[in-house]
Amino acid sequence: MTTTLQRPAPRYRPPAPLGGRTPHARSARRSLLALLFLGPALVLLGAFVAWPMLSAFRLSFTDSSGFGRESWVGLENYVRVFADPDVLRALGNTALYAALFTPTAVVTALVLALALNHPRLPLRGAFRTALFLPFVVSLAVAAFAWSYLLDPQIGLLNFWLRGAGLQLGNVLQDPALAMPTVALVAVWKNFGFYMVIFLAGLQEIPGSLREAAVVDGASPWQRFRHITLPMLSNTFAFVLIVALIAALQAFDQIYVMTGGGPFGSTQTIVMEIYESGFRELELGFASALSYVLLGITLLLSLLQFVFFGRREKDLQ
Amino acid sequence: MTTISLPRPRRVHAASVMLAVAMVLATAAALLPIAIIVFTAFKPVAEVNAYPPTLVPGAWTLENFARIFEELPFARLIGNSVIFAGGVTLFALVFDSLAAYALARIDFRGSKVLLIAIIASLMIPFQATLIPVYQLVADLGLINTFAGLIAPRAADAFGIFFLRQFFLSLPRDLDNAARIDGASEFRIFRSVVLPNAVPALLTLGIFTFVNNWNDLLWPLVFTTEAEMGTITSGLTLLTGPGGIIPQGVMMAGSLIAVLPLAVMFLMIQRRFIESVASTGMK
Amino acid sequence: MRKTATALLAAVSAGALALTGCSPTESASGGSTTITFWHGYTEADGDVLAQIVEDFNASQDEVVVETEVKTWDVIDDTLLPALSAEEGPEIVAMPAERMPVYADKGAFVDLGDLYESDENVGEIVPAAADMMTAEDTRFGVPTGFVPLAVFYNRALFEAAGITGFPATWDEWVDVATKLTVDENGDGTPEQYGLALPDHATVANGLWPSLFYGAGGELVADGEAVIDSPENVAALEYWSSAVATNRISPTGLDGIGADELFSSGKAAMHVGGPWMASISEANDIDYGIAAIPAGPEAQAASAIGVGMGITAQADDAQIEGAEAFFSYFFSEDVATEWSLGSGWPPLRADIPASAVESNPVVASLTEIAETGRPLLPGVTASVDVLKAVDTATQKALAGGEPGALLADAQAQIEAALAE
Repeated sequence: MTTTLQRPAPRYRPPAPLGGRTPHARSARRSLLALLFLGPALVLLGAFVAWPMLSAFRLSFTDSSGFGRESWVGLENYVRVFADPDVLRALGNTALYAALFTPTAVVTALVLALALNHPRLPLRGAFRTALFLPFVVSLAVAAFAWSYLLDPQIGLLNFWLRGAGLQLGNVLQDPALAMPTVALVAVWKNFGFYMVIFLAGLQEIPGSLREAAVVDGASPWQRFRHITLPMLSNTFAFVLIVALIAALQAFDQIYVMTGGGPFGSTQTIVMEIYESGFRELELGFASALSYVLLGITLLLSLLQFVFFGRREKDLQ
Repeated sequence: MTTISLPRPRRVHAASVMLAVAMVLATAAALLPIAIIVFTAFKPVAEVNAYPPTLVPGAWTLENFARIFEELPFARLIGNSVIFAGGVTLFALVFDSLAAYALARIDFRGSKVLLIAIIASLMIPFQATLIPVYQLVADLGLINTFAGLIAPRAADAFGIFFLRQFFLSLPRDLDNAARIDGASEFRIFRSVVLPNAVPALLTLGIFTFVNNWNDLLWPLVFTTEAEMGTITSGLTLLTGPGGIIPQGVMMAGSLIAVLPLAVMFLMIQRRFIESVASTGMK
Repeated sequence: MRKTATALLAAVSAGALALTGCSPTESASGGSTTITFWHGYTEADGDVLAQIVEDFNASQDEVVVETEVKTWDVIDDTLLPALSAEEGPEIVAMPAERMPVYADKGAFVDLGDLYESDENVGEIVPAAADMMTAEDTRFGVPTGFVPLAVFYNRALFEAAGITGFPATWDEWVDVATKLTVDENGDGTPEQYGLALPDHATVANGLWPSLFYGAGGELVADGEAVIDSPENVAALEYWSSAVATNRISPTGLDGIGADELFSSGKAAMHVGGPWMASISEANDIDYGIAAIPAGPEAQAASAIGVGMGITAQADDAQIEGAEAFFSYFFSEDVATEWSLGSGWPPLRADIPASAVESNPVVASLTEIAETGRPLLPGVTASVDVLKAVDTATQKALAGGEPGALLADAQAQIEAALAE
């Protein structure tokens, strides 16, 4: 097995199966085959994802509250999305959160994964487990731990800093600092998972490539830039898109830590969706807002795909 | 691990010390909030809210743990959690890997569109589809059943996307060789691709299990009866004065709830290394 | 390995099928009507309520009430999906300020006739009944109604040599100033006289209480009246008291204020009845007093909880639920509930002497008439309270009260117009 992995394998289509089938018949056979593999997942996703999405889409044109009477309101909800100053502010907040969270989380995860993958690191297993632990803790519990740390009056961090004559202030109640703090907690909570994905990707890279580069006298940076990063591009594209989607759907940690405050400075789109749907019982409006979010996310992800697709081509 | 002859050993040695020190610092920062959780679990109620705050309990107590075992049917809740999170994880791994294989390895018309549709389904916040999903599960008569808890998550767009990316990166030489030998597509999937994808499957498995184990809203919405609850949803019932959850008790409960996850990760991560070594990919 | 995986998979699928089959059985208590009741009373109050339900079920054989206990937050998160598929409760209890929102969407059965015809329900304290009213329909009955009260730390009062509890705002600020201690003189007190949260206050009631004291209101007759001169004066009074005398930290929310009081770092705190047990758990010797009188009135916003009959109930279930409500408000049961829940009695004809065996209930009952329902019948209460929160938090952070309340006025007007 090892012998076949000297260099990245070129991608080519499987050779045509033996026997004189026409291209059309072959493609029909492949489609059938694919359907067999996809079948169970498609049935489940169709019922529990696609159908509910269609239902939500229909609701977005109604004034439904989720129960009882509802009537058709056309595009009114969508018009409201773009006219409501709260929604526009939430869009801005979400963009800020995504800009803070996505690069920080991805870079932290990558750097730590590279460190963990370094052949000279002692106690690798212990470090890996410790760094993964924040991901395992449930958010309600994590939020308590962070507020115990950050509370301006009775928090541990301020108590320690006070000894040194410093004051951290009320970070979660400061409109300028609340969002960075919430994003930091989210990075703390999630980098472990992205790190493990990077580790899985890094372990796919044949050691022989690295050895060859070392023999050729490539510097660590050159090795990273010309071997690790290109070989990691599938993983990287995946982590980036997943982190971006997670950022655009930021909800949990904000719900438990700031509730959207102070003065709405951490109110994100999904917070807005939750409040309008589940608190104010305006499910139609919440659905419309959800579809606007889907549109934005899709657009950003396609841009990313185009970027990575081009890079992949450059590499080949 | 491969031993490599390293040029300029002295400098590398200094670098590795710096690396270890940096990792110790990073780990300490990551673990501080965890330490708070662990120590709070052993603090008496009055000390949790006391000023000045403490990291390590001044007086250690087990009363928080005692209260949990007194008030919650712990074995039942953990059992429910295992069935729910374990069920979702097993089904999702099977269905996701099958679907991901088709999307990564079988050239068929519409695969691009299907992939984009699957990824796009990740982009709608779950709050938007929760009510339609609930209505469907209710129509199927599955509220308050494990089937109702598990089925909507038994196939997962995230997992399909994740595994598809991983399968793409696996060298194709292996399956082509098997294909020339006349192996069926399912055989290639099972005996060539899956064994090579163990790290990815384990990663996805951990992710799915942890997320479902810790999920609060899902079990709360889909089960209205207390005896169907999971450990995470059950902990919310432990309230103190004014319906406020006493922090020490909450932390003790979470510690017990998280223990199976930590043990699982420890066990799996050993397999993780073995599996990578055994595929000869390092 | 491969074999194990296949076998495991088969076992799991079989297990899942079996589990599908064995869904919990429907409660088949032949002939009688079953009513599901969701509430969030999880402590001693929950035990008393369970006893009341049990006694009601035993008292007749037509209706069986089955209780499912959840926390209040969980009820709010899960009620909407449950109602959407008619899988929810027939009776649901929730914080009173959440009920108009559901009522407005048609979630509750109108109980107007019950209030008219039932001798027990007719005895409900009028202010508490007002809390359950929107646009002349009664969407529920109260299960709790209590004005916010000041909880104070007796040990800290004693240490500062303060004997009586203040009766007016000026005295209150004076006492709070005396109780504020900044030993090292760094400008950040180690002990605060008062925990005065500026947003997300207990039941959102602190600032409305202060506005009432100055003679103001939030919404009157469906119109926003938040930027009245009285309210501006009240906000100026308290923000300057906090700014000059440092009697309270700023940026505090209700839970933070609870914690400050229970950690012994604040001498006074405006809260609900549960502060009694929180104080006991944290070894704090506490006293309870009414919120001191403002320049115009002595008034406190009330914390309310209510229960209603949901629209999914059929006629038999509505009748059964109304019978339960009538039982709940009979004199003995109402007294039992008051003593068990620690909240003042909900019937106007039960005197404080009937509940004096519980000193907390007795002291709360004494100040009960200062209580005013918060935003009765205002559907847009979420938006109104958000506007108030923004104004108060910004004011305590140094903003100009007049301008802030004018902003709040505009926001509330917009919310009410929707």
